[in-house]
Amino acid sequence: MSSLTTTLNLAGHSLYNRRVTAALTIASIAISVALLLGVERIREEARTSFASTISGTDLIVGARTGHLNLLLYSVFRIGNATNNVTWESFEDIRSRPEVAWSIPISLGDSHRGFRVLGTNDDYFRHYRFSRSRQLEFAAGQPFDAVFDAVLGADVAAELGYELGDEIIIAHGAGAASFAEHDDKPFTVVGILQKTGTPIDRTVHVGLAGIEAIHVDWEGGVQRPASRRSAEEVLEMELEPEEITAFLLGLKSRVAAFSLQRQINEYPGEPLLAILPGVALQQLWEMVRIVENALLAVSICVVAAGLIGMLTAILTSLNERRREMAILRAVGARPWHVLMLILSEAGLLAASGVLAGLALVILVTAAIAPWLEQQSGVFITIQPPGVFELVIAAAVIGAAVLISLWPAWRAYRNALADGLTIRV
Amino acid sequence: MAVAEKVQTESDPAAVAARDLLFAWPGQDPVLRIPEFRIARGERLFLSGPSGSGKSTLLGLIGGVLEAGAGELTVLGTSLPELRAAQRDRFRAQHVGYIFQLFNLLPYLSVIENVVLPCRFAERRRQEALKRSPTLNDEAKRLLDDLGLGGPLLNRPVTELSIGQQQRVAAARALIGAPELLIADEPTSSLDQDVRGRFIDLLLAECESFGTAVLFVSHDASLGDHFDRQLSLAEINTVRGHH
Ligand SMILES: Nc1ncnc2c1ncn2[C@@H]1O[C@H](COP(=O)(O)OP(=O)(O)OP(=O)(O)O)[C@@H](O)[C@H]1O
Ligand SMILES: [Mg+2]
Repeated sequence: MSSLTTTLNLAGHSLYNRRVTAALTIASIAISVALLLGVERIREEARTSFASTISGTDLIVGARTGHLNLLLYSVFRIGNATNNVTWESFEDIRSRPEVAWSIPISLGDSHRGFRVLGTNDDYFRHYRFSRSRQLEFAAGQPFDAVFDAVLGADVAAELGYELGDEIIIAHGAGAASFAEHDDKPFTVVGILQKTGTPIDRTVHVGLAGIEAIHVDWEGGVQRPASRRSAEEVLEMELEPEEITAFLLGLKSRVAAFSLQRQINEYPGEPLLAILPGVALQQLWEMVRIVENALLAVSICVVAAGLIGMLTAILTSLNERRREMAILRAVGARPWHVLMLILSEAGLLAASGVLAGLALVILVTAAIAPWLEQQSGVFITIQPPGVFELVIAAAVIGAAVLISLWPAWRAYRNALADGLTIRV
Repeated sequence: MAVAEKVQTESDPAAVAARDLLFAWPGQDPVLRIPEFRIARGERLFLSGPSGSGKSTLLGLIGGVLEAGAGELTVLGTSLPELRAAQRDRFRAQHVGYIFQLFNLLPYLSVIENVVLPCRFAERRRQEALKRSPTLNDEAKRLLDDLGLGGPLLNRPVTELSIGQQQRVAAARALIGAPELLIADEPTSSLDQDVRGRFIDLLLAECESFGTAVLFVSHDASLGDHFDRQLSLAEINTVRGHH
């Protein structure tokens, strides 16, 4: 039997004999590794998730505001627009020769915590996500009448809506919005397939619908004097005066920069056009600080886990001088004692890493639905990849490396004690 | 072992032969100054001496764990001072069995695993054991059986054995693979009178069947009768009276 198998075998038995401490050490390494892998995992998933939310759109245009703000509210439904874009500007810009398609977006209302997005047919025709996937219907079809609504997959699933159900839209974006457009209910005519993007959590209605529920409102309150019934409203001309933002697809990508410049210098009103890719890049740069901080923290936690292991091994050494003397008496060389401690560290770290991998898979599986609900980040459960393997190797390597210290001490003790048992 | 063979000094060497051996712990006066000391092959020698007189120190020298300050020390034909520490370690593993006073066993290994342990560190011990039984475990069981330990006891955790039983397991371990020299450092000091006598008889009988020389150390001179020869450390050590 080779010496390595002998020492590994002995280390395994010895650890099992001290299984409570060993289990705690393994647990602390497991948790730290799970944290590190989990943070990295969520980071990656958040990126792919965000990046796949919008695809094929060349420019996003809104009232002049921060680049990130425009990106966040128009695509991710995070935050609110401060100003609107007039319908005339939209009409003007969409009719430029370089524009292939356009999607108007009107935000500001909600239904039981889900954002309501006013748009038109072009949304279903031109919106692309996740490398040019098109929106598909799980049931029904696009809205047609003024009070028709199309639900994202999660909205329908969580609120249990089916085609034909009536929903009331509330003014403002909060879940606890009291001002409801309850006199003008919408009918569910379509439910979209799941996309893994914020679309799943959006209620889509036509721009006319948005206008219709706001005709008798001004400044956030309904004016009783000018109150109109749903029937009356349908008689009216429902051309929107303003929208929140719009997406543009161009005939040629090359035109994006020049059109962006023109829109940014638009004489009619202060507008902002952004390239989604560039804005996403800015977003990453902003989150990178947070990400790096998180990563640093989790690396520190791994270090703490390893130091815990080091402590456990070091404190065990004194009470194990007898063990070492016995081993030497049966023929182990001091070198074997060194190997024994290193094997022990390797076994502890390897078990910890394995447990950590299992833990991270279990935990991501458990929190994936919640995370998706909270942030729209869609985590897929995957087998360990290159990153996981690198981390595993690094943690085990580091464990063995730092254990050179106790191993060296045990080696010195073994030399000094020889065959005398010191307790 | 190639290196050991090279430094053989006699054609039919004694188990232990020392001449003008000197040893001092670092920074202290010498504990041992031994002009002449010999154990023949297969001889069973009892060495007594008061506590602190240097018995364990002498065993450490013969076991190759300690290095003599001066003098000659030949064990089984191999001159220990000429070996490097690692070579002495290997030499001990191959040729010398060792029993401590107390707590000889690794608590996390089974009885059989404890006994077989020397064969994991020394190829010669393994081969010798396999000459006598088909497997190492069989040889361990055979030895334990000869020493009066068998049956259900073998499956008990070693920590549940009585001290007398533990010492017999330790003896089986020291003897597996037929080492030419057995060193026992007060292995009976924690056993009561009856058990002590029986243990020594069993141990010596087993050593006889292997042709193993025995160096048995104790401060209790009354045990000497079991042995071929008895000796007090004072008879061979010229260092006196600072213990
Ligand atoms: N590791 C050591 N470092 C320094 N001095 C030591 C060491 N081990 C033993 N000594 C000293 O060497 C002398 C002999 O010790 P040794 O252990 O050989 O005695 P002993 O005859 O085996 O005693 P006992 O019967 O109590 O086991 C003692 O004075 C002891 O203090
Ligand atoms: Mg002693």
